[in-house]
Amino acid sequence: MTKQVVSNWFSKLGQSEKNLPLLIYQGIVYTPQAVYDEVMRGSPLGDALQSLIEKQSFGTSAEDEQTVAKLRLTQIMRTKPDKPLFATLSGKVFTPSELLGEIENNTDIGRQWVGTEISHMRRIVSVR
Amino acid sequence: MPALENTFLFVEPQQHYLDYGSVVLHDIISKNRRAGQIITELIGPDANPDRVKQELGRMSPIVTCGIGHGNETTYTVECTAKLFDTSSTDLNLLADKVVSLCSCLTAVELGPAIIDAEAVAYTGYKTEFWFYIGADPGTTRAVQSPFLAEFEFVASLLQGKNTSSARADQLKKYDEEINYWISGDGKNDTDASELSRILEMNKANSVFLGEGSVQPSPSAPTILVSGTTPWLWIGMAATMSFLIYREIKGKSY
Repeated sequence: MTKQVVSNWFSKLGQSEKNLPLLIYQGIVYTPQAVYDEVMRGSPLGDALQSLIEKQSFGTSAEDEQTVAKLRLTQIMRTKPDKPLFATLSGKVFTPSELLGEIENNTDIGRQWVGTEISHMRRIVSVR
Repeated sequence: MPALENTFLFVEPQQHYLDYGSVVLHDIISKNRRAGQIITELIGPDANPDRVKQELGRMSPIVTCGIGHGNETTYTVECTAKLFDTSSTDLNLLADKVVSLCSCLTAVELGPAIIDAEAVAYTGYKTEFWFYIGADPGTTRAVQSPFLAEFEFVASLLQGKNTSSARADQLKKYDEEINYWISGDGKNDTDASELSRILEMNKANSVFLGEGSVQPSPSAPTILVSGTTPWLWIGMAATMSFLIYREIKGKSY
């Protein structure tokens, strides 16, 4: 295993992605920044996290994936101005806080965003 | 009347945030239209049900593309006025045509009904189509991005490709836009998080039905002119001149 894999992966991510929770290892959630720091330190934990990146895995159960996805969306939406930012071609308009309400209430819209977030996490961990 | 090749009808309402998509569609048409194509754009108040149906009957365009609010059974145009639903008796206006609806949910019931009405192809969405309204229409890559991917389908049809290639181009454009926001030049943009997710949702819910071999705007016959062609002709002329000269010279002896 080479640290270069994680270094290259990390450098290709946008700044906002680097600080969003992504991997779960032994019950603890790690951001790409934390993964990078640990791998560069060369610790046994870093080796384990690097292994997850190389396998393009979150190291989580389906239930954990949902939890991490909701955490990520909450973190994203709370940094945005609370004005209408999102619209659909069925005539709906949402502010970030309204969208978070859909996610918390597990509506069709909320489930669509959570499902997409899980796909997005797969895409992020697969960036090369 | 059968659908006419090289004839396109675009429906571009403006109200209820539809200008976010219509301005992008208008720009894509301008950039991709080719000589010989008959293109009608119904913009703003002209994008009303009566006018759209009138043009469908009058022009019989092989491609009809529009943006509008919709649901499982219904597609609407300006002022959310209904154009078609699954019970419309005039869905046959779409027979023989490629129908591309940038709208929510129409792939659930209306899209299949349009194919049942003998349209040759249909594109649309099976859940919500999302877009970003954090800036004025057409002013940033973020507000344009979802529509750049969506309208790549008609851009490719205008360029002369068939429906299958145009669909492949649309999906490829989705990936390009997603990668732009995740790991490309847009990755540190303040809107990158929202846009990558919106595009991923729209791509996952995009639907194509019908035939892949339809080519609405086949290429006009052209004469191949390459950089080497003049030199080829000059070379042939010189060779012929030499042979004629030698023939004449030979005869003179």
